[in-house]
Order: sequence, then structure tokens, then C-alpha cells
Amino acid sequence: MFYRVKISLLGFLALAMFAGSVNVASSQTRITVGVTETIETHNPYGDSVSLLYGIWSEVTGPFCTYNYTKGDFEGRLAEKWKTENPTTWLFYLNKNYKFNDGSAVSAEDVVHSIMTRVIKDPQSKQKASVAPSVVNAEAVDKFTVKITTDKPTAPLLSFLCDRLIITSKAVFDKYGRDVADKEHMLGAGPYRLKELIPGQRLVIAKNPNHPEAKKNPRAPDEVVYRVMREPEQRVTALLNDEIQIGQFVPPHMRQRVEKNNNLKINPVDSVEIMFLAMQPKPPFDKKEVRQAVCHAINRDQIIATLLEGFASRLDGPLGPGQYGYDPNLKPKLNYDPEKSKKLLAQAGFAGGVDIELQTPVGRYTLDKQISEAIVPMLNSAGFRAKLLTPEWATLWASVQKGTIPFYYMGRGSVQDPSAALHQYFHSGETPRIGYSNPKLDEILDKEQQEFDPKKRRQYLSQAMSILTEDAPACFMWRHKLLWGLNKKVDYAPLPDSRVYAIEMAVRR
Amino acid sequence: MASYLLQRLAGTIPVLLLISLLVFLLIHAAPGDPTLMLLGEETNAAEVAKAKERWGLDQPLYVQYWKFLKSVAAGDFGKSFKYAEPVTHVIRTRLPATIELAIFAICIATLLAIPLGVWAGARPNSWIDNLGTTCGLFGISMPSFWLAIMLILLLAGVLNILPTSGRSTYGIAGPEQTGFYIFDSVMQKNWPAVWDALTHLFLPALALGVNMLGILMRVTRSSILEVMSEDYVRTARAKGLREKKVVWRHVASNALIPVITVVGLELGTLLSGSIIVETVFAWPGGGSLLITALNARDYPLVTGLVMTYTTAFVVINLIIDGLYAVVDPRIRY
Repeated sequence: MFYRVKISLLGFLALAMFAGSVNVASSQTRITVGVTETIETHNPYGDSVSLLYGIWSEVTGPFCTYNYTKGDFEGRLAEKWKTENPTTWLFYLNKNYKFNDGSAVSAEDVVHSIMTRVIKDPQSKQKASVAPSVVNAEAVDKFTVKITTDKPTAPLLSFLCDRLIITSKAVFDKYGRDVADKEHMLGAGPYRLKELIPGQRLVIAKNPNHPEAKKNPRAPDEVVYRVMREPEQRVTALLNDEIQIGQFVPPHMRQRVEKNNNLKINPVDSVEIMFLAMQPKPPFDKKEVRQAVCHAINRDQIIATLLEGFASRLDGPLGPGQYGYDPNLKPKLNYDPEKSKKLLAQAGFAGGVDIELQTPVGRYTLDKQISEAIVPMLNSAGFRAKLLTPEWATLWASVQKGTIPFYYMGRGSVQDPSAALHQYFHSGETPRIGYSNPKLDEILDKEQQEFDPKKRRQYLSQAMSILTEDAPACFMWRHKLLWGLNKKVDYAPLPDSRVYAIEMAVRR
Repeated sequence: MASYLLQRLAGTIPVLLLISLLVFLLIHAAPGDPTLMLLGEETNAAEVAKAKERWGLDQPLYVQYWKFLKSVAAGDFGKSFKYAEPVTHVIRTRLPATIELAIFAICIATLLAIPLGVWAGARPNSWIDNLGTTCGLFGISMPSFWLAIMLILLLAGVLNILPTSGRSTYGIAGPEQTGFYIFDSVMQKNWPAVWDALTHLFLPALALGVNMLGILMRVTRSSILEVMSEDYVRTARAKGLREKKVVWRHVASNALIPVITVVGLELGTLLSGSIIVETVFAWPGGGSLLITALNARDYPLVTGLVMTYTTAFVVINLIIDGLYAVVDPRIRY
């Protein structure tokens, strides 16, 4: 009997081996990407995560894009733009962009996408991220759109580019939202949606006649995005060629990928800033305590050891390559535990003070391990720190309510820091930190209304200097995100984690 | 028997009511406002108020619960906040994946555990008994999330014979009809798709079923040991029956009743275990959906899923009770 069971198992494994080695034979090129975000809905406006902004932007345009090499925004579906006055923008559409059914993308489609889908549709999750200050969009002519904001919004492009998804008004009118999204998804991008199975995968296929596709004929014919949340899964799938690109290989798994002759690691400086936030409630209502926290943490040591060098230290909210970065920003709150102790004594806590650090687990690279390393550093500098690790939904809900005094967190997609600085540090914007400084508010308001880039950078620099000095948060580092790639694929990952298939190239 | 089953069925109603109240209160007590989670906290107060009105969250909790009960009585769990679709529809699209997974996990567990347990119990202290006991302890002790990662490393990584995750390979399966991939592929006579679905199913089903396998094996062994010392077994041997016939015909059939009870109880563990296993293997079933719903504080979807799982558990146990009479003719209700 045991012998028979053994034979059956071996038979199954042998057959599985055969099946595992079967690949879909095709002259077409296909890349499978293991991604960490979930893909849960057919509604392109129904989620607000960077991966999906990228995929839907690629399928539908994108409207405009940020070129990290040039350090500026570039036209795509919107060919060019200008500001008519501080609250009015004109966008001129590229007449060569056509939906998959051959119809031209018109200003009416853009107006429909902004007003009906992003702003008014109750199922939209994107209003706050894509069009927070937009109050109106109207068609000036067939290919010109006028967008009006409720206040001067200099960084408007950072909200719209790589995020605004343009879908067909005609299809929406004909079928209604749900059927249009599920069965008749039309886009004007270099790729079209081929299959979406919520929770499992999303497949896009190249439109070879698209102007962007013609520029890169080596771009894959099909790209399959597979949800793979566990790092072990992505690394194993890379090793056995189930996927050709794996998002976010943790530093401690890098060597396994690099040891394989068919694979390589491409690191990229993320534009996600990692920080320790401190609500100005006791004991963090005292600036000295907040500064003491920042002086207590040896960021260089954590980067060198835990992160194996795959992070770049931040001495303020921004690092090189991010808009408004100022290398001469002062003050710098360097590692100095003795100074921490003095600052704590000045604040009246010479005998130490109890604090609780809360951290997500598995949300960011080695978040729990990093926080575990931070706690003894804080304790050596005179704090009595404890670590709490609530599950993400609870932690995030409490952060959104402003009920967590001290936490480790990341803020992604910081190309232009305006939105992030407002979100965390401007009075009354969100309760995430609950910090209020009228001087900072004034500078941040001016920066958002200033269209002269040079003056705007000066305002941003002033704002960041105040933040570093007042320390409502300790800015820690930007992770270098490691992407595992099959050597048959050329791809330079982008700092904001969006994935554009049109920028990939397959070696045949 | 029919009146007994009806009685039991009626008894499940207060259980379901109590569970629904508990789930409803717990999910509402959990930190996190669905409007903030789904719309973002920068959404202005007017839009938050609109969303609350649309989702009925502006009403007192008891009114919300009463409305929920009325809808459930009509077979409707309401509309999902996140998906903007009826909860029943969202669950219906995901549940076949979980059922398929659970069925295969049970198959793996029972098909291996019962013969191993019978064999081990029939030959105590033999090498097969020691092997079975070791396997049983291993199955009981291993946490499914750890075992899942180990299986991925070994069978998908080192041996490279099975896929790491997912439910199917893109481009192989035909159009979905029932949501049960294997059944659909068999009906379409798409054999590569059947095989593809089986290879994707094997690792998560094994990770899910190993714990049940261990428990079942141990229970079967103990039960067999107990029955082996009964008088009628000695009589059967005295009649000159072959040992194989004694064990399988006389011992095993009588020793199976506690095993069936354990199968019923373990099905609940299997359903809750599927939440972890589905997450690790990116298996798009009810378990991973529950995690998504919890993270979004999608109250109707969380409540609908928990109620579905609870109902499944209660119904399965009812069926198991009915099975007693089939296995043991002496039992009459």
C-alpha cells in the first residue's frame, strides 16, 4: 500500500515537472512582472495605488509624464500646456492619440474623465490624489481643455501626470460605468487591456501602431502583472523563470538573485521618504524631545548593516533628484546621543521619558527590523522606548485619525514635495501629525501659488529648513529599491515604482 | 431523521444571529473609518457625509444592524463599499476558488491520513506506525504560513516542478463558466488547462491540508487501536478471516465515526486556514478577499464573508451528523 502511494506521488511529481516546464509557445514576446500591490477592480478610478496609476496610465495615455532624466514633465496625450492665469490651465491634446476603436481622444473625453469619473463618481478613490484643487474642466475646442482650480496650484502637473486616466465618454454613455469598465475598456495608450482577473493578474498587449510603441519596437508584446505579495514568492518565481521582473527584492535576498547567471539586480533610488513622525503631544510637544529623537538614531549604521547600504540618508525631507532638494539645507540633526541626553534634560526629562514607537510590519523594507534597531538607540540616549506592531489597517486608521504619537512611516511618489509637505505638515490638512506652525503654513501656501520655479524652490527650501529645525518628524532615508530582472530584459525601474511596459526591452 | 435534521437546522438560526451580531459589532468597533480608508482623509467633510449617507453609516448602529438583518433575510448582504457591487456577487466570484482549494486539501488529508492511520493502528510500534506518528506530529505542529513558504522554496524553487503561486497560467485556461477551474476545463475538454489548474492547486492544498492530515491520522490510529481490542474483532479472527479483511471490513468501518466528527470540526479550521494560505499563495479566493475587505473596512463584505463561512461550517456539521447514520446503521435519530 505504502509502495503504491509512493508510486502515485512520484507519478504526480513527474507529471507536474512536465507541466511546469511547458511554456506557451509563441513568436510574441511576453514579460511577466511579479508585483506587490493587489489588483482588485475593473474600475480604473476605483483604487489609488502607484502601480495601478502606472498601468492604467499606460493603457489610457498617459496624460503627461515625469521624465526623471530631464527632471521635468513631458507631454503625451496632452501634448503641451500653459497657465492662462494662476487658477486656469489650458491643455492641448495630441491629435494622433486614438482610442483602441480608432476614434480620436477629444477634449470631451478629458472633461468627462476629470469631472464625471474622478471628481463626481462616488466610486472614485482618486479625487484627493489627482484633482484635489480642480473645480472645473471644460472643452474649449475639440482638442483643448481648460482646467480651473480653486486656488493657484503651481504643482498641478505633479497631480495630473502619470495619474490622470482618460477613458472614453462615448463608451461610458453607451454602456454605463460598470459594463464600460469591465467589457469595453478603451484607452489611447501604447498598450491595451487584455485580461483582468481581480486578485490574480492583469494582462496588457502592445498596440504596435501607437506613436510611443513605434519608438521602442523591442518593447514586449504582452505584459502580465501577477500579484505576488510575498518576497520569497517573487524571488523564487524569478529563479525558476516564472516571472522576468520582480518588484522589490529585500536586501537580504539580493544575493540569491545575483548568484543566478540569468538574473540581475537593478537598484533604484526611491522617491519614497521614510521618517519618524511625532505628534506634538507630551512629551513630543517639546521641540527638544523631538530633536533628541533625531539625534539618537544612527541612520548610517542602520543603512550600512540592516539595509546593506541600499538606502540613502536624508538630512531633510528630500534627497537628490527630488524637486526642491537643497544640498545646503541646515540644520542637520546628526547622530549624537550625548546631545540627545542634554536636550532631554533641557526639556525636563533628565531621568528619561516613556515613549511608544509604532511601526507597520511588512509594509516597507525591513520596517519591523529597523524599528527594533531604533528602540535600543533611543534607550541609549535616555528614552524608555517600547515598540508596538499593530496590523497595518489598524495602524493606518489610527494615523489617519491622528491618534498615534510616534510612528515609523513612508510617503511615496514625492517627485514634487508640495503635496506631501502639505499633507503632513500644513495646519489643518490632515491629522496624521497634527503639527501646526503659522510661519510654515504661510511659506507652504506661497510655494503652492508661485509659478516661478526659482522662487518656488526658495520657498520650499525655507519650509524644509523650518521642518528640520522644528523636527515634527525625523527624516531617515530613501530606500534603494531592488528590482530583480531576467538578463533577457532591459529595464530601468523608475523611482516612483510605477511600471511602464513601453520602457522595457526584450532581447530576442 | 428528517425531523432531527429540521430541528438542527432550526437550531442554527440563533447561532447565525449571534454570529452576525458579534461580527457586526466587532467590525464597527475596529479602529478605522471606511470613508477615510476608501476615499482618503483629505476628502472634504461634505463628501465624507455623502459617502456615509450612501453607505448608511450616518444612522445609529442598531438601525444599521436591523437593516442588515432585513436584507440578509431577503438573501442580500448589501453592496460592497470597495467594489460597489452586491456582496453576494463579489463573494460568488471568489468562493469557487476557496471551495476548490478546500476540496483538494480535504482529499489530500483524508486520502493519506486514513490509510496511514489504519495501518499504524493495526500494527502498533511497527516502522509504519513510527513513520505515521512522526508525519502526524509534523502536520499538527507546522504552522501553515511557514510550511507554505517552505513548500514554495522546495517544490517551486529548488526542484522547480510547480508554480509558486496563482491559480492558473495566463493563456491556457478557457473562458470561466462556473468559477471552478478544474470543472470548467474538464467540461471544455481543455486538458492542458486541467493540468495547469492541478499544478497550481497542489502546493496551497498541501499547505492547507497537512495540519488536517496530522490530526486525522492520529485520531484514526487511536480509534483503530481501541476497536482492535473489541470482542467482535477477536471473533472475526477466530473465524479465520484474513487480517486485511479484519482490519478494513470490521475494524476500520467501526473506527471511522470519531474520524468523521473530526473531519467536520477540522473543516472550520480549514476555512480559517485558507485565509493565510490564500494570502501566501496569491490564491484569489474568499480568504484573500476577506483580508482585502478588512483592510478597507468594507463592513458589508466582511460581514457577508464571515456569515458565509459560518453558514458553511454549520451546514457541513449538519451533513456530518447525517453521515453518522450512514456509516453506523445502529445510529438512528
